[in-house]
Amino acid sequence: MHYTFDIEKGNFTNAGNASGSVKKTLKQLNVDPSSIKRIVVALYEAEINAVAHAYGGKIDIDIDGDKIVMVVADQGPGIPNIELAMTEGYSTASQKVREMGFGAGMGLPNMKKNTDKLDIQTELGVGTTITMTVFLKN
Amino acid sequence: MSENGSYFYHALRVDRNVCTGCTHCLRSCPTEAIRIRKGKAVIYSNKCIDCGECFKVCPSHAIYIKQDDFELLDDYKYRIALVPATFIGQFANDVKTSQIYACLKKIGFTHTYEVEHAVSFLIELYKQYMAEHDEIDTFISPYCPAIVRLIQVRFPSLVHNIIHLNAPLDIASIVIRQRLVEAGIPGEDIGIFYVSPCAAKIAAVKSPAEGKKSIITGVINMDFLYNKVKLMLSNSKSIVEPINHSLTGNDVLWGLTTGESRNFNNSCFAVDGIRNAIEFLEKVEDEEISANGLVEMRACDQSCVGGVLCPTNRFVAKQKLKARAEIIDSKPKKEDSDHKVAFNNKEFAEKIAEMVKIDEIKPRSILKLNDNLQIALRMVENMKRIEGMLPGIDCSACGAPTCNALAEDVIRNESKIENCIFAHKKMEEFYKVMFDIWGEDLKTL
Ligand SMILES: Nc1ncnc2c1ncn2[C@@H]1O[C@H](COP(=O)(O)OP(=O)(O)OP(=O)(O)O)[C@@H](O)[C@H]1O
Ligand code: SF4
Ligand SMILES: [Mg+2]
Repeated sequence: MHYTFDIEKGNFTNAGNASGSVKKTLKQLNVDPSSIKRIVVALYEAEINAVAHAYGGKIDIDIDGDKIVMVVADQGPGIPNIELAMTEGYSTASQKVREMGFGAGMGLPNMKKNTDKLDIQTELGVGTTITMTVFLKN
Repeated sequence: MSENGSYFYHALRVDRNVCTGCTHCLRSCPTEAIRIRKGKAVIYSNKCIDCGECFKVCPSHAIYIKQDDFELLDDYKYRIALVPATFIGQFANDVKTSQIYACLKKIGFTHTYEVEHAVSFLIELYKQYMAEHDEIDTFISPYCPAIVRLIQVRFPSLVHNIIHLNAPLDIASIVIRQRLVEAGIPGEDIGIFYVSPCAAKIAAVKSPAEGKKSIITGVINMDFLYNKVKLMLSNSKSIVEPINHSLTGNDVLWGLTTGESRNFNNSCFAVDGIRNAIEFLEKVEDEEISANGLVEMRACDQSCVGGVLCPTNRFVAKQKLKARAEIIDSKPKKEDSDHKVAFNNKEFAEKIAEMVKIDEIKPRSILKLNDNLQIALRMVENMKRIEGMLPGIDCSACGAPTCNALAEDVIRNESKIENCIFAHKKMEEFYKVMFDIWGEDLKTL
């Protein structure tokens, strides 16, 4: 099962559409509620980052019998220091982003916490691709 | 389970003689519980939450709310009318509460008891419950049964966020029955009749979410009783019934939006309207919203004054109740009624607190396609494929509310893709091509 979604640059209100429709499918699959919650939270954080720190991008989601793989790829500045970015509380969010209630520096740590596998590929000036895997049980 | 094999009793019914199959109800239903079959609306029992949205939009009044036979009163020596403040709000403010109660007596009740008598006791119980469950941060009020069922069927992961205590209505009836029994009246002589503003409360009385038997004897529809009282008032305005009731302004406001939340801390929310509730619950589920306390949530716009059985316009009724509350609060405080005084007895209060606990509210997901992940996955794939063949204009001519819902019905074997007139046309063209190539004999294959 494959889904794709576009992420629009600077559009915070639409971020969450992807996690919303994935949530419905996961409920239809009778995936246990705690896994659904983890998946939705991780995906939402990745979506928001692509909106807040990059210039939009694309989400590809694959669900098979035992796992969900979510790939969030953006065109953006890239992450200069992944280790630093993964630190709880580290954020370079602009004032504008902070006013919208984001920028606590918890997004990446939350993605890590809520997924079974997290892979970050990033190239400065080109973009970032986040791949998150969660194993499913129902 | 109830008599027809479903989990819930439903108060909403379709009168097949009147229904024209017009599809208004299909589109209004927040759980997509209605289909048109053989030209008539059919309600799927396990999906319906008795919110009454279909009742509100039906242009032919084919949807009705079943109430108990009024004659049932005759079976009891003590006949108690359990009245929510919403009922009083239906009447003009120059009608005294005591006049309304006098009418109820004339109609056949021996006692009148207000649901909101238990409010201050209940607030304490909620507070205690929240303190005992510090692992939860968002507590959803059990007040509105349509909301409790909505959560059961559409947000199963949130059932444990519902405060597992009986709704005020049940608490009130537990208290009154307990008091009468303690006064030496045999249980079988007591009939408690609730005056309901909606289908959801009726359904909850008939099959409470937790599967226990309700201690309310019967339900009378609010519009029915309103008409009776109204008629009587116009004939005999002078009769009054002395009452020692002592609802506070706060009690009177309980059934209005913010009636509950105003008693708790500032991080509480008050949500009314079924669509608003769904939007909010989605966000609670995603952890985008969390309350550090109570979420008051009611299915009807403006809460119970917006209930489908309330004859008076909801904004008018709301304004009247607010005015009544203000008058009460401006007068010197009356002595507490003996109902309220009863809670001062520690032993009695503890007994009631124990009786109102609910063991479990079960999740009953209507979304899951199959318990087996592999099978469910195949079904979702098929569903996507079928959706691709449908035009996506949600015309409802197939008898399902949306193209999406038809696709789901098809994979659940509850409908056929040919029921879509557009898909049907496509299939016909496809057959025509096949017949041209292979001959009409193909039809017999
Ligand atoms: N897709 C991305 N492209 C470029 N930089 C990124 C991207 N994702 C994260 N970063 C960088 O990593 C930092 C930490 O990200 P993280 O999501 O943990 O916190 P945040 O987005 O700043 O705040 P929060 O997620 O709590 O709202 C960001 O401030 C940003 O500098
Ligand atoms: S808000 Fe009140 S009237 Fe409306 S469904 Fe809920 S309990 Fe019934
Ligand atoms: Mg972030």
